[in-house]
Amino acid sequence: MDDKTRMAAAIARQLQGLTFDDKRLAELAAEVEVLNDAVRKAAERLTFDDEPAAFASLMEREAK
Amino acid sequence: MSDDLALKDLSEVADAIAAGRITSVQATEACLARIALWQPRTNAFLRLRQERALRQAHALDKELAAGKRRSPLHGVPLAHKDMFYRQGEISTGGSAIRRNWTAPVTATVLQNLDEAGAVELGCLNMAEFAAGPTGHNVHHGHCRNPWDATRVTGGSSSGSGASVAARMVYGALGSDTGGSIRLPAAACGVVGMKATYGRVSRAGAVARSWSLDHVGPLTRSVRDNARMLSVVAGPDANDSTTSEKAVPDYEALIEGGVSGLRIGLSLPDALVPVDAAIGAAVQAAADALGKLGAKISAVTLPDFTALYRAAEVIVKCEAAAMHRPWMATDAPYANQVRSRMEAGYFIPATQYIDALRLRAHFVREFLDTAMASVDAVLLPAIPFPIPTLQETDVEQSGGPATLGMVARFTGLTRPFNTLGLPTLSVPGGFDGNGLPIGLQLVGRPFDEALLYRIGHAYQGATDHHRKVPA
Repeated sequence: MDDKTRMAAAIARQLQGLTFDDKRLAELAAEVEVLNDAVRKAAERLTFDDEPAAFASLMEREAK
Repeated sequence: MSDDLALKDLSEVADAIAAGRITSVQATEACLARIALWQPRTNAFLRLRQERALRQAHALDKELAAGKRRSPLHGVPLAHKDMFYRQGEISTGGSAIRRNWTAPVTATVLQNLDEAGAVELGCLNMAEFAAGPTGHNVHHGHCRNPWDATRVTGGSSSGSGASVAARMVYGALGSDTGGSIRLPAAACGVVGMKATYGRVSRAGAVARSWSLDHVGPLTRSVRDNARMLSVVAGPDANDSTTSEKAVPDYEALIEGGVSGLRIGLSLPDALVPVDAAIGAAVQAAADALGKLGAKISAVTLPDFTALYRAAEVIVKCEAAAMHRPWMATDAPYANQVRSRMEAGYFIPATQYIDALRLRAHFVREFLDTAMASVDAVLLPAIPFPIPTLQETDVEQSGGPATLGMVARFTGLTRPFNTLGLPTLSVPGGFDGNGLPIGLQLVGRPFDEALLYRIGHAYQGATDHHRKVPA
């Protein structure tokens, strides 16, 4: 079991109270790594003042 | 016009009821006869409410005879995806977990339709908890495409697409988190509207992802769709994400034509490979709109890679949170439904919040690039011919090829859930197997009326939507 899988196992067991077998934990660790990396990279464009509710405001402002 | 009442459009039937040429009972009986013929072939209905629908139709006929017409939907038989709650009645959400669960409230959209005098024929098949783009359902039986029972309907609003296409109902509600209205609309050859996020209330509808879910109608024609959206759209105190903006009379605005409108054509091979036949159909649609006076230009969509990932993060985290009580047990999920949520338990909250923060940036980027010089964008809905149930059965054969094909289903639909932009799916021809091809029209926020105008003009120049499965 690699470090990421061990971390996934700890999150599942200690933080979420869920159990998965080692094979599934490895798959999930790999899946989450891809998602996290992509969002972290995309988030480089965010500023301190960006908030989730900006989406709804923008939709209203841009409304036809 | 066919003598078979069930083959008429929603608006024709509604207007005939209003004029006293036919009754709601007659329209309901016509649908029931059609259901008797097509339900065994499609499995579109999970539950039929025959007697209650006839009672409802009879009462609505009496109201009309007494001079009360509730709305332009008065007396029209509809049915809806089995995820819209009706107080005191079973609502399965397509699951085994809620097979016998009784809803404590009635969904706002159903209340709107009740007040409008629509008849409800029953509850329609769907993917388990609205999680799946094909129409497979291991608990209630797969929904089958009326054009070819070996092929998928698209999902997750599978029964909505199949029942409208097979002329079992005049219209149906569905929901769309990554394409779940537009995919079955495209695969079954009907019209589907995923309106702007916040245009239609989600209150009392089974959630897949609160941030990305959209409720909307599937119908046979654009006019029908416009009529139905006008009834179900609008602000709702029970859904704080709904907009306070006034709802236009969409149907009254559909005759404006497309002359002078700027429509951007996109065949986004860089995002998802587009089959030649599908690309040709979209090009033909652009040509048809061009002949009607629209200014067609090629547009390039932004790279959606980060948007896809952000959407996955949002769906997985929200689904994992809401399903936690069942996920912590051996609750009977289909394997692919369970496995698609599991990553949500491992994604840090910061990543989830950043995904939500990114949405405004994605919208800004899309409006400033793809839509900078056009009023709407035209692109395919499903970029390949409609596959068979067997080819896409991830429970039976979840190999990489099957999983890849299923993932590609939403390649051109999912972005517009994250962007929250209105998107209309319209029939645009047939593939080499005789299965429908769907077009998508994307507009600016709350510009549903313009999409209906374009779609209606296109349907005036083509007859794809008039073809009926045999």
